[in-house]
Amino acid sequence: MPVAISVDAPEVSENLRRKRGYTFPFLSDPKVDLIRRYELLHPRGSPDGTDISRPAEFLIDRSGTVRWENFTEDIRVRPRADELLAGAHVIR
Amino acid sequence: MADTTPRKRTLAPWMGLLLTVLGALSNGLPFIGFPAAPVPWIGLLLSLIGFVVVLLGLWRVFGQSTVYRGKLSGSIAAAFSFLFLAAAMLYFWGARHIPAESTAAPQVGQRVPDFTLPDSTGHSVSLTQLFSGSAGKEPPKGLLLVFYRGYW
Repeated sequence: MPVAISVDAPEVSENLRRKRGYTFPFLSDPKVDLIRRYELLHPRGSPDGTDISRPAEFLIDRSGTVRWENFTEDIRVRPRADELLAGAHVIR
Repeated sequence: MADTTPRKRTLAPWMGLLLTVLGALSNGLPFIGFPAAPVPWIGLLLSLIGFVVVLLGLWRVFGQSTVYRGKLSGSIAAAFSFLFLAAAMLYFWGARHIPAESTAAPQVGQRVPDFTLPDSTGHSVSLTQLFSGSAGKEPPKGLLLVFYRGYW
């Protein structure tokens, strides 16, 4: 199950979730606590100069162990569906 | 004896400008629901090619001014083309300007500590709760934590 995490306020995430019809949870980390703990902080990364998360994906199994992860070097490049599925196979 | 043959127009500056504009605008495609650029440098390349075409046009109207006319329009096209090329370059740089390696991020094989964050309805949710599954749903075998930049 995907879990989306960003600095967006719950209302903003809910708006996005409804608009796109997503059914998975969206979590809000406006104070970048978790983002900082995962060392994903992109200081002043948003167009209006606030701290945001860099794009990153972690696949976690039931024991809480990371089984696959991905960091991008270009914000326009995100993992393709086949890459994600290849990652998902390791915990099947 | 005056040269009476009419001088030709050249479309090169305008075609070049069109290419640089398209190149710069192609960076906006992901924002209108188009999948993230499979080749992120294509916009920059398109703008660069466009600018070369503009330079060719300038060489025609200034270097071969007995054959081609359009010094003023060529210069205007070149100025705009340069602006769009600069925008494409700035965007290309900006898209790749993300923090260096997240070396302290959880690595493959490591366990992540539990955390609690509010979901989009404002209720606090922990990693453990996410793994236990919601009402009527089977507990997930895994979770894909997707950190994203935000919707602004």
